[in-house]
Amino acid sequence: MPLSTNRALWSIMTIDQVTAPAESSDYVGARVRKHNGAAYLTGRVTYSADISLPNMAHAAIVRSPLAHARIVKIDTTVALAQPSVLAVLSGADAAKTSGPIPYLLDPAGLGGHSADVRCLAVDKVTYVGQPVVAVVASTPADAAAAARLIEVDYDELTPIFDAEAAMAEDAPLIYPDWHTNVMFAGTFGDDTFEETARSAPHLLHGELRIQRTTPSPMETRTYLADWNERAQQLNWYGTTQNPHPQRWVLATALGLTERQIHVVAPSAGGAFGLKMHGHPEEVLVSVLSQIVQRPVKWVESRSECLLAGGREQVHRFAVAYGDDGRVHALRDQMIADHGAVAAGAGWGMSFVAANSFPSGYDIQQCRVEYSIVVTNKPPSVGMKPFGKDAPVLVLERVMDLVAEATGLDPGVVRARNWIREDQFPYTTSAGLVIDSGNYHGLLTQALDRFGYQRRRDEQQVARSEGRCIGIGLGFEMLPEIADIPGSFVTAYDSATVRVDPSGQVTALTGVTSPGGGNDTAIAQIVADRIGVAPSDVAVVQGDTALCPYGTGNLSSRGIVVGGGAAALAADDVALKLRTIAAAMLEADLARVELRDGFARITTDHERAIPLAAVAHGAYTLGYILAAEMDAPLESTRVYKMPNVQQVPDAKGRLSTYTTFSNALHVCVVDVDTETGRVDILDHFCVHDCGTMINPLFVEGQLQGGVVMGIGAALSEEIRYDDRGAIRTDAFKRYLMPRAIDIPHLRIGHQVTRSPFSSLGAKGAGESGFAAAQASIVNAVNDALRPFKVGLNVLPLTPPRVLAAIREATRTAGAVG
Amino acid sequence: MIPSTFAYEMPHSAGEAVDLMRADPLRARLLSGGTWVVPEMNRGESRPGLVVDLRRAGLSEIRAEADRIVVGATCTYATILKSTIVARQVPLLALMARAVTGGQQIHNQGTIGGSVCAALPHSDAPAAVTALAARAVIAGADGERRIAASAMFAGPGQTALEPGEVLTALEFPARTGFGHGYYKLKGFEGSWPIATAAAMVAIDSDGRCSAVALAMGGVAATPMSVDLTDVLGDRPDDDEVLARAGQRAAETLDAPWSDIFASDDYRAAVAPTVARRALKRAIDDARRATASHDGGPR
Amino acid sequence: MTAQQAKLTIILNGAHRSAEVDPRMLLAEALRESFGVTGVKTGCATGDCGACTIAVDGSIVKSCLLLAAGADGADITTIEGLAQAGELSEIQQAFWSEYAFQCGFCLSGMLFAARDLISRNVAAGDEDIRKAISGNLCRCTGYENIVSAIRKVIEAQPS
Repeated sequence: MPLSTNRALWSIMTIDQVTAPAESSDYVGARVRKHNGAAYLTGRVTYSADISLPNMAHAAIVRSPLAHARIVKIDTTVALAQPSVLAVLSGADAAKTSGPIPYLLDPAGLGGHSADVRCLAVDKVTYVGQPVVAVVASTPADAAAAARLIEVDYDELTPIFDAEAAMAEDAPLIYPDWHTNVMFAGTFGDDTFEETARSAPHLLHGELRIQRTTPSPMETRTYLADWNERAQQLNWYGTTQNPHPQRWVLATALGLTERQIHVVAPSAGGAFGLKMHGHPEEVLVSVLSQIVQRPVKWVESRSECLLAGGREQVHRFAVAYGDDGRVHALRDQMIADHGAVAAGAGWGMSFVAANSFPSGYDIQQCRVEYSIVVTNKPPSVGMKPFGKDAPVLVLERVMDLVAEATGLDPGVVRARNWIREDQFPYTTSAGLVIDSGNYHGLLTQALDRFGYQRRRDEQQVARSEGRCIGIGLGFEMLPEIADIPGSFVTAYDSATVRVDPSGQVTALTGVTSPGGGNDTAIAQIVADRIGVAPSDVAVVQGDTALCPYGTGNLSSRGIVVGGGAAALAADDVALKLRTIAAAMLEADLARVELRDGFARITTDHERAIPLAAVAHGAYTLGYILAAEMDAPLESTRVYKMPNVQQVPDAKGRLSTYTTFSNALHVCVVDVDTETGRVDILDHFCVHDCGTMINPLFVEGQLQGGVVMGIGAALSEEIRYDDRGAIRTDAFKRYLMPRAIDIPHLRIGHQVTRSPFSSLGAKGAGESGFAAAQASIVNAVNDALRPFKVGLNVLPLTPPRVLAAIREATRTAGAVG
Repeated sequence: MIPSTFAYEMPHSAGEAVDLMRADPLRARLLSGGTWVVPEMNRGESRPGLVVDLRRAGLSEIRAEADRIVVGATCTYATILKSTIVARQVPLLALMARAVTGGQQIHNQGTIGGSVCAALPHSDAPAAVTALAARAVIAGADGERRIAASAMFAGPGQTALEPGEVLTALEFPARTGFGHGYYKLKGFEGSWPIATAAAMVAIDSDGRCSAVALAMGGVAATPMSVDLTDVLGDRPDDDEVLARAGQRAAETLDAPWSDIFASDDYRAAVAPTVARRALKRAIDDARRATASHDGGPR
Repeated sequence: MTAQQAKLTIILNGAHRSAEVDPRMLLAEALRESFGVTGVKTGCATGDCGACTIAVDGSIVKSCLLLAAGADGADITTIEGLAQAGELSEIQQAFWSEYAFQCGFCLSGMLFAARDLISRNVAAGDEDIRKAISGNLCRCTGYENIVSAIRKVIEAQPS
């Protein structure tokens, strides 16, 4: 190829700067700030509720005031007569044009039960708050006012609000054709507990009651559907974590083809699992838009948002252990109160809870027997960390109870039971294959940096002064990035990286961001490979018309699979850019690198060409510069985790999770024994999620998770009245932690790479919650040891703590 | 968006407000800071036909008169905290205002009169104005009347205000020589208080308690005054004496309040502690004042 | 049923603006829907989450607790008006560099709470900072980095 001709051709293009700056940088691993932060800081980010379409109407929903009832009659005449009301829709009306909402994961397909879930209840309601009638009007206020004018007659049925009561022989049945209220039941691990326990030196039993809590992102759910009758096309904007699967849900329920539907998920104001697909209103707004032939928007109120909940479980466990603190066998019997049936992910959390026993402990004799039960509470929804918190809480209590019984330090007991570094990859009793870890390393770092021994000494002094100080450990092991057969929970995702002729870089991903930093982290990954700054990379997510197919966000998958795919695609594009640049620079490909917006010679940075010139060359001079290479500068790639095992092993087990992050938390609390108030004095954690693309974002996820865990340990609790109506319908009554409730959180890192993920990274999006919750529960119990009380009902509110202290004092008084 | 329609008026005096409501007082709703009334309307729980917004009614002045300090009903917590008159002469009011949660925004928006009229069992102001022996100044169609603030609280969410009446101010008797203490128990920042206690204690030069007032909020449906005149005596900060004071609070509490945050049992259990802690603060404050003013407490 | 529109005139981020509003609107809603400043967020409409915090006549308020009708003539600043001539303020910069926001939904309210504290108390310690943002809820950050960002601005103030 005549090189001189090449040079002549590309040198006529306008180039402002031909010398690259001397500095070069690697962004992966750096604490890079949010790449699009300025838009957030100036109020220019568009969330779902910020979208207004011309001629847009608004929906309001009449919800069931009863927990269990037949719908007898719906009178909409007065509402329909209101001047601005456009339509009133009942469940029977909706059923004419929409079918059942498809399940995220159908329990019936796995041997359990499911029911027909509709966008509006058709003939029966199963929880207070279930959508029954929808109203569309020109303004939200008119819709809300008209909704009050709708009269629904119900024939009340006996409701049931307690999962254990629902399992009784004579319990009223919520879905009579099941002949049971147990939606799903099963076991993990061998049934060898009794046998092992007989020969074990010691046995202990315990119980834990975990309350219902709720994700409650600051942005409530919002859906806006715009049906175009002429084009037979549905444009749907909304708070969904999973735009492509959402499209399938809408197509299935509405009887449309997926290509008739365009789903856009604008910037999300937090999700935490709530915004996974399967909510009735997703379909409802679409049906309404088809009926009124106008765009229809529904913005969930906070009180509606607080109906969502989950995590409510009772665990009864038995532990066989030795004097050395080694646990020989564990049995956990778990009953999960799911609430009514829904099409979303909620029930899966309880399944994952059972599957994730026995956390990161080497207890091969671990038996879990679980029942997921329906009641007349609102359905469970997905919530981070998706059930994995329950085994963490149980195991962390078990370790402390064993420590107390043996007189060993809680750290020692954990160290004796953890999976050792040389045992990885490790197959748990439930079949999960844990990739890697160094749990003992977490302990060493945590105890050293926390000053554990000194704190224990201080605790003794405090006790002698009548202060009630407690120290608690909490270890979490979080299976992440799942691939569940038959669902859109996948351990693969796709990305397109594109450099346009003017040299602008765009990454389009199948993963989405619930609000954390995965878009910026993906920009970092791409930036390193293309040799630009992360702020020069536009990341496009959440649009089914623009982005390659993907699952969106769940199971902490954004970086590992979304980033992994973006890395592959960026590598492809980088190779093309380097090939073109090599020709332009008349250099060997191996000597050309992309840095700081230039293609340059590795050994001579003065010889550099701006990326824009290279890109332009790639599009316009392809035959001359690289005849064997195809423009455009674009690649779409998929990254798929290699370590999913969906063929049952000899024991019939699957391994559906692919990375396993972990952490150890230490927490110090001060309990006011006169009021039961718990103050957190200090909280420290060491966290390991393998390679960190951006430690700032890892810490951000962790800090948010810790505070959510603190809330779940101490204050957050969804409560109902005796007829099943929610009492915690506002932030005045559902108490999420505020800044003053929280101590300074200290974080240490340990990096144990995932041997399976291309980046060495593990999922980090759900970190913090489980270990924080467990460490606080342990710390409060540790504080109350002098009273010889065990607190096992969550959350540990002042009344509960005080009642336990008073009961213990009374009992001690009676004995002594 | 508020689901009902309503007329909106912003009168320039209390008299004008009374006149506006005269035609149909039962359909009118007074609006002060809005922190309680606006969300109630937004949820459709209150559907007044007329909203009378008092923000420009000239009721946000704080002034000292010969024997009293007058605090306008629409004074916000922020106004109260900025007032040197309050700081000097009704410091307990400032202690209460400082303890109000919800951020500076709520300090800027919530008003003392609004809180008194909302008469929520667990809110801060009612017990504090009760302890301070305030009088409520009420304007109505028949002119002005004054009642003891404690008589304002008829029950949870209920006051002695007649339809069409406006609370225009709270008057606090000018008193000196007291130490002040406010204690609030809540589990978490976002919660309403579970129990509050507002205390005033005067200590004479011999260290004896010469006067005491204690009122508790949150523990009962209405603010509860606790008579401690015969309890504190010579050694007010003795642990046993304080314990007896707490015991008196428990004895006074015959119908403990119960809500989502705490049962009646819990409130009964913590009432003595809350009372004691507020008293201790008031006594410490009185002693500090005695020490710093060389026998001339504030 | 539909209410008659009323004209609302305000100074919004330094500019005189008028719009027709539905008198049933809360101020937060009127700003978002009639004046187009969607940087104002509503997270609860009960005055608890603080996402709708703005400055009215120099004081920070939760705009979901105010009727739009009562705001006639008010001087209002929203997040859209915090940057001057395209330059982010020190507080905005600190929130960015300290990663004091994730999803950004609470950000507007937090910025106003932070700005207000810094204007009131140049010597605020961590406890004061935490108290000052306790009228605002955040579900993503755990508040840690918000506190650091505000501390950073306070420490940079000339003493």
